[in-house]
Amino acid sequence: MSASSQTSWQVAARRVATYAAFFCLLFWVGFPVYYMLITSFMDPPELGVKPPHWIPQEPTIENYREVIIGQTGQRGDYGTTTEFSRMMPALLNSTFVSVSVVLLNLLIGGMAAYAFSRFDFRFSRFAYLSVLMTRVLPALSLIVPLFIILRKLKLINTLWALIFTYTIFILPLTIWILREYFDTLARDIEEMALIDGATRRQAFRLVVAPLAVPGLIAVGVMSFMEAWSEFFFALTLTNSLTYPPLLMSFRNLHQVNWNALAAATTIGVLPPVIVAFVFQRYLVRGLSEGAVKG
Amino acid sequence: MTVAQARKTSAQERKHWDRKWIPYVLLAPAIITIVVVILSPLVTTIYYSFSNIDLIRDRTTFIGFDNYVELFSSRLFWKAVEINLKFAAIVVVVPTLMGLFFAVLLVEDFVGRGLGRTLLILPWALPWIVIGLLWNWVVHSQFGALNGLLYSLGLIDKYIPFMADENWALVFTAMASAWRQTSFSAILLLAALQTIPEDLYDAAKVDGAGMRARFRFITIAWIRPTLTIVLLYNIVLGFLQFDAVWIMTQGGPGDATMLISVLLYRYSFINFDLGMGAAVSNVLGLITMGVGLIFVRLTYRSQSTYS
Repeated sequence: MSASSQTSWQVAARRVATYAAFFCLLFWVGFPVYYMLITSFMDPPELGVKPPHWIPQEPTIENYREVIIGQTGQRGDYGTTTEFSRMMPALLNSTFVSVSVVLLNLLIGGMAAYAFSRFDFRFSRFAYLSVLMTRVLPALSLIVPLFIILRKLKLINTLWALIFTYTIFILPLTIWILREYFDTLARDIEEMALIDGATRRQAFRLVVAPLAVPGLIAVGVMSFMEAWSEFFFALTLTNSLTYPPLLMSFRNLHQVNWNALAAATTIGVLPPVIVAFVFQRYLVRGLSEGAVKG
Repeated sequence: MTVAQARKTSAQERKHWDRKWIPYVLLAPAIITIVVVILSPLVTTIYYSFSNIDLIRDRTTFIGFDNYVELFSSRLFWKAVEINLKFAAIVVVVPTLMGLFFAVLLVEDFVGRGLGRTLLILPWALPWIVIGLLWNWVVHSQFGALNGLLYSLGLIDKYIPFMADENWALVFTAMASAWRQTSFSAILLLAALQTIPEDLYDAAKVDGAGMRARFRFITIAWIRPTLTIVLLYNIVLGFLQFDAVWIMTQGGPGDATMLISVLLYRYSFINFDLGMGAAVSNVLGLITMGVGLIFVRLTYRSQSTYS
């Protein structure tokens, strides 16, 4: 009798604790994001009133419109009129860079991972360990020679500098994750295809590649996010061609239209956020395999 | 030899040739680019750190340990180390504990779990630079959300200029980093928690283990490998964070948030003293390599037991 009432009391306590913790999660994640979102839907004078409006009194999409057409500051003295005109080209550049990185990374990394998984060759263990070791090197610390190499190649301030460096810095992770995938795919099926007279290329295309799709998606998504978000190389190797360093240059303006900046930020995070939500399952799997096993 | 036989042997030969050379062909692009872009700069950084680089006259002179001597005898460097240690402490402790807290929450069965799991991805999906901006809005002295919240609750009469204060600036740049890293930690820990077999708990209950004992001896014991990896990732981030801090404070106010990475950027791209920059790079590299080597050892071991 007393045992069961204690249990039901425990169940209730557990439920209360769960929802209290859930509220913490909502607040922790939601508060900063929510504040940026409401800022992006406010007219400049509404930002900074005391006490703050937690819901915009006269919600407006004017900030978004101005950022997209590249004409801001038409509503009074809130920054110069053309400061955001570089925004849309930067988003296009970011898209080009990210998509190129994903494709190159899948191609080069996929080939290498397949080689490590299926062939036993001279130095294979050494080469694999060397590739893994490069993951440990902080990209930050290679910037000085990279800058000089790319300057000599006349690639400074081009998108190619970014595509080149991002692809290569993501490669080790890609190779690791894809190798795991290729390893777990049944070799027997592939061997059977080979015995049945398929060439290795056919076996790869018809048997291995379709089965490896989840792994390819996980890796593709992760490299997209990385390429879209990378800031340090973009800052040092280019003059704000892509979205992240451009945000930084807005931040540095003497007088910036914070509401337009909120709108610009929101537009720019939509691609990675949408990709992350759509491919959530693959992403979590790729993340945990890449981080824990890899 | 008949035509059919000839065709057969040549096919066999080709197959043999395939087996031997295919892996090298497949690997070539990856290995070549990795050598060119990662390994050669690595060697060059080490060389540069012993050199004086004159960018204008394009001349590199070998000067031995001078850069390191200058670095280790500068007060700026030791100040950066001290600041970075404090910063890293927050970036290690907060995300690990909060990540564990959220992960434990999200294995519970309750209405809203799906929403919680999806929301958890959000901070991780945002670029560091956006994290910096978001937190800039949170702590801003004129329209910051935190000031607004405290003011609305009647806890303060006038807004606090957080980022003008040296201690607050360090705390909030670290909290911004912790914000995204909490999600990353929670995602990994959640994935590990989901692999715990339910009957372990049942068996422990039968044996009379209380909630605290079950948490310690089953939950924590089971996810310990993941927890270690999460800790290592958080330590590395504590020393490599640059983006969020750079957009929030650029190392200020004064030098209050001058992490080693910020010092690296200052030497290399503001003073254009690339030799000193390379020396800082190598110090930073050694710190994270040390952590990373533990990491590779652990994961390589876990991988070999796995396969």
